[in-house]
Amino acid sequence: MFDIPTPAFLDPVFSTFREAPLAIRLAMIFIIIAISITLLAYFSILRSRFRGHQRKKRLDYLLPKIDNLIIDEILANPEVAAGTPADRIQLNLDGFQELPLHKKWARQATTNRIIHFRRNVRGNAGQLLRSLYIQLELSKDTMKQMKSSKWARKVRALTEFIDMDIPVADVTILPLTNSRNRELRAAARHAYIKLSKNEPFKFFDVVTDPLLMWDQVELFRIITTTEDISIPNFARWITYSSNKSVVSFCLKLIVHYNQLPAVPAVIKLLDTKDHYLRADAINCLGKLRVPDVEDRLVSMFTSQPLQCQIEILKAIGRISSGRQVDFLKQEFLHSTNFDLRKAAAKSLVKNDWVASQVLQELLDTADRESLLILKHCMNPLIKY
Amino acid sequence: MIRTIFEGGVFIYGIVLLFMYALLAYMSFRGIIMFRKKNSFTNYDHLLDSPLTPGISVIAPAYNESVTIIMNVRSLLTLNYTRFEVIIVNDGSTDDTLEKLIREFELVPVDFAYNERIVTQPVRQLYKSTNTAYDKLLVVDKVNGKSKADAANAGINAASFDYFLNTDVDCIIEKDTLLRMIKPFMDEEHKKTKEIGEPCPQCGYVHVVEDSRQVIATGATLRIANSTEIDEGVIIRVRPPEKILPRFQEMEYIRAYVLGKMGWSVMNSVPNVSGGLGLFDKEVAIKAGGYDHSSFAEDMDIVTRMCAFMIDNKLKYAVRYIPTTQCWTEGPPNMKVFSRQRTRWGRGLAEIMTLHKKIIFNPRYKKLGLVVLPYNLFFEFLAPIIEFAGIIYYIYLAVTDQVNWPYALILLLFVYLFSVMITTLAICWDQLTYGYYKTWREVIALSLMAFFEPLIYHPLIVFFALRGYWFFLTGKKTSWGNMQRQGFGKKK
Amino acid sequence: MSKILLVEDDEIMPKIVARILPTSEYELDHVSNGKEAFEKLESTNYGYDLIITDIMMPYANGFEILSRVKSQPRPIPVIIVSNAGNEDMIMEGFKLGADDFLKKPIIPAELLIRVKRLLMKNK
Repeated sequence: MFDIPTPAFLDPVFSTFREAPLAIRLAMIFIIIAISITLLAYFSILRSRFRGHQRKKRLDYLLPKIDNLIIDEILANPEVAAGTPADRIQLNLDGFQELPLHKKWARQATTNRIIHFRRNVRGNAGQLLRSLYIQLELSKDTMKQMKSSKWARKVRALTEFIDMDIPVADVTILPLTNSRNRELRAAARHAYIKLSKNEPFKFFDVVTDPLLMWDQVELFRIITTTEDISIPNFARWITYSSNKSVVSFCLKLIVHYNQLPAVPAVIKLLDTKDHYLRADAINCLGKLRVPDVEDRLVSMFTSQPLQCQIEILKAIGRISSGRQVDFLKQEFLHSTNFDLRKAAAKSLVKNDWVASQVLQELLDTADRESLLILKHCMNPLIKY
Repeated sequence: MIRTIFEGGVFIYGIVLLFMYALLAYMSFRGIIMFRKKNSFTNYDHLLDSPLTPGISVIAPAYNESVTIIMNVRSLLTLNYTRFEVIIVNDGSTDDTLEKLIREFELVPVDFAYNERIVTQPVRQLYKSTNTAYDKLLVVDKVNGKSKADAANAGINAASFDYFLNTDVDCIIEKDTLLRMIKPFMDEEHKKTKEIGEPCPQCGYVHVVEDSRQVIATGATLRIANSTEIDEGVIIRVRPPEKILPRFQEMEYIRAYVLGKMGWSVMNSVPNVSGGLGLFDKEVAIKAGGYDHSSFAEDMDIVTRMCAFMIDNKLKYAVRYIPTTQCWTEGPPNMKVFSRQRTRWGRGLAEIMTLHKKIIFNPRYKKLGLVVLPYNLFFEFLAPIIEFAGIIYYIYLAVTDQVNWPYALILLLFVYLFSVMITTLAICWDQLTYGYYKTWREVIALSLMAFFEPLIYHPLIVFFALRGYWFFLTGKKTSWGNMQRQGFGKKK
Repeated sequence: MSKILLVEDDEIMPKIVARILPTSEYELDHVSNGKEAFEKLESTNYGYDLIITDIMMPYANGFEILSRVKSQPRPIPVIIVSNAGNEDMIMEGFKLGADDFLKKPIIPAELLIRVKRLLMKNK
C-alpha cells in the first residue's frame, strides 16, 4: 500500500487489517486513535503539572520581593504619612528595576500584587499604588490585551483598568458596549461607568438587553464606590426606561442613596402591569419610609397578587407610621395565607410603639398557629 | 435471524454509547475552557459586600452524627458568604447529636412559625442560639422519617431564603462554595419571563413576552475525602485515596462529574444534581413537591420533577454544573458498605425509570423526555443488563466454538482502550480546572487506575446494579443504612 | 508597649498592618485563622491590649472570636477589619460588642488613629 518499510512483526497486523470486515478495521483504527489520545492526555497532565510547579517556584521567589518593595516604597513612604497628594510624590523605582520586569509573567505578577494591595488599602496609599502601576508601565501590556481579538483577554484588561482606575478613551469602550459577547458587553459597560468622564450613566438610556443579577452586583459596587462620580436622579429611568431590569436596578440605587425626590416617579410605577416590577416599587417605597404612600398601598392591597401583598405588608412595617395597625391586625387574623400572616405579624411587631396593646390582646386570644407566628416575630433571636 | 438482530442491536448500542462518551468529553472540554475564561476575570468576593446578594439556606440533615456534628456545623458556619443560614435537621437521632448541638452552640427552644408546605414527619422543636455569633444557625428536631428526603423537606419548610443548598453533615464543603454555586443563578436570572400580564383581547391567551430562562439548580464536582487531610472541617491537603476501592471511586466521580455532568450542562441536559451538594430554587422545589421520602434516588427524582414542573408551566429552565470540586465526601471504605451503596443506587435508578415513564419519549417534555431520560434509560439503566447479557451470549458462543478469536480480541482491546482514554481525559480535564493534588505522582497514580477499572471495578458495579434491580423487582426491604463513619475529626 | 493580636487570613494584610503600627510602640502577633487565634489567646491567658480581626476565616469566624473575647472577665477591645461590609454584618458585629468596624480597603492613617484611640480609652 505504502512504500514505507514496516518492521516484520507488524506484518500479521497488516494482513489482518486487509482481510477484516469493516467493523474490525474501524476498531483497529480507533485503537490507534485511543492510544494516541491517551498518551496525549498523559503528556498534557504532566506538562500542566510541570508548568504549575515552575510558576509556583518563580512566584515563591518573586512575590516576597515585590511585597517588600511595595511596603517600603508605598506604605512606609514618609510623604504618604505626611499627607502629600499621591500625584506629587516622586517614587523611587530603583528597587523595582532589580525585578525581572522584562519578562511578561513577572509584570503580570507585579500587577496582580498591586491590585491585591489596593483591595486592602485605599486613600493616599491606594493612589500611590496606582502611580506605581503607571510608572512601571504595567498598563502597556493591558493596553495590548485590549487590542486582542479574544474576548476574554479584553474583559480581563477592562477589569484590570477598572481595578486600577485607569482612564480609557470613550471611543475604545463604546463599541464594546454593543459587542455580541455578553461578558464583554457587561465589562465594557462597567468600565464605561467607572472610567468615562462624560455622562457615565448614558448607557442606561440605550441598553436593551436585561441586566443580569451578576451585572447588577458589579454595577452597584462600581457606582457606589467610585468617589468622583456625580449621582443623577434615578427617577429619570424609572419614568422613561423601557428596560425593566434597568428600572428595577434604579429602584435599588434610589434606596441606597435615599433619593426622596424620586418618590413621585416610584409611586407612578405602582400602576405598572408587571407585578414583579410593582413589587420592587413597593419594596423601594417601604425602604424609603414614605408615610404618605401607606393609604395608597392599603387601598390597592386586595387586588394584588401574593408577591405584592407581602411587599405591601412589609413596607407598612418598615414605614412604621402606626396608622395602619388595624389593617395589619385584620390581615393577620383573617388572611388564609401563612406567609401573609407572618408578614403582617412582623409588621405589627415593627409598629409596636403604638401596637403593643394590640399585640398583647392578640397574644391573649390567639389560637395555636397565630400564637406561634406572633412569638416567632417577637423573638429577637429569630431574624427572618 | 434472531441472532442477527441481537448482534446488530448490540453493535449499534455500542457505537452510540461510544459516540455519546466522545461527545460528552468534547462538550465538557468546551464547558471547562469557558469556565476557565470566565474565572480569569470573575471576582467572587464582590458578592460579599453587596446588598444585592441573594440569600441561601444551607440544609444539612443529621442522623446519629454525634462524633462529627460539632465540627461539621462549625465548618458550615464559616462558609464565605454573608446572607445565609445553616439549618441542621436532627432526624430523630438516637444518640446525643441534639444534646451536643444544644450545649456547644448555646441553643434554646424557640416558638418558630414553621410552615409545613411539604408534609413530613412531625417536627418536635426548633432551636436558635442565644449567642449572636451563632445566629445563622437553626436546628430543627423532628421525628425520624427513615430517609434523608424527609429530613431535607423539613429543612426546606423552615428555610427563610429563596435558594437552598442541600448537603450532608458528613460532607466537607469548600469555603467558597456558596459564592461559586450561586453565580450560575445570577448569570441567567432576570432572563426569566416577567410579563405574564392579562389575556390578549384578540385571542384570549396570555402572551409570554420575554423569551428567557431560569436556572433552577446548580451542582458541582464531588470528591472522595478518604485520604484527604481534613482538620476540624478545614481541608488541609487534597490527596487521592490510598486504598484501592475508594481510589476507584475517586476516579469514577471525576469522570462522572467533570466529564459527564459538565458535558450535559453545556448541552443543558443535566439529569441529576448530587444529593451531597446541590443548590436549588426553593419555590420551584416546593411546587414540584419537594423530595420524595420513599425514593431510593431522591436527588435525581427531585431534579426530574422540577424540570417537569417547569415544562408543564411553559417556563424555560436550566440546570447548571460547575467543574470545580466543592464537596468532599467519605466514600465507602470496604466492600460491604460499598455493595450496599451501589445496590441502593441501582434500585433508585430502576425506580426513577418506572416512576417517570410518562415523561420518557414524551415529545411534550422536549429535552427531558427525548434526551435526558432516554439516555439514562439506555445507557445508565439498561447498560448493566445488556452487558451481562452480552457476556452470557459470548460464553455461549465460546462454548459452541463460534468465536473468531482474533477479531474478538481486537474488539475487546478497542473497548478497553477507549474506556481508558475517556477516563484519562476526564482526569486531564479535571487538572485543567484546578491543579488538585500536590504532586504529579499522585495524579499519575490515579490515572493508572483507569487501566485496572474495566477488569476489577467495573464488573463489581455491574453486579451491584443488577442486584439493585433485583431488589427493586422483588420489593425487598432495605433501610437507608447509615454507613459507618470513620470521621474526619482528627488529622490523619 | 501595647500588645496587639491580628487575626487575618489574607497574606498581604498582616504585612501592611505591621508597617502601619510602628514596632516601637506596638507588639504585633499575627495568626491566620480562628483556631490559631483561640490557641494564642488561651496560651497567653488573653494577654492582649487589642485584637484586630477579619470576619470570614477558616475554623472560627471573627464573630466567634469576638463573642469569646467579650465574655472574658477583662474584655479586650476588638476592631473588625473586613471586606464583607453589608449592613447586617456591621450591626451583628456591634451587637456582639465590637469596638470599631473598618471596611477594606482601609486608609492606613485611619487604622492607626482608631487603634490609638481605643488603647487610650482602655488605659
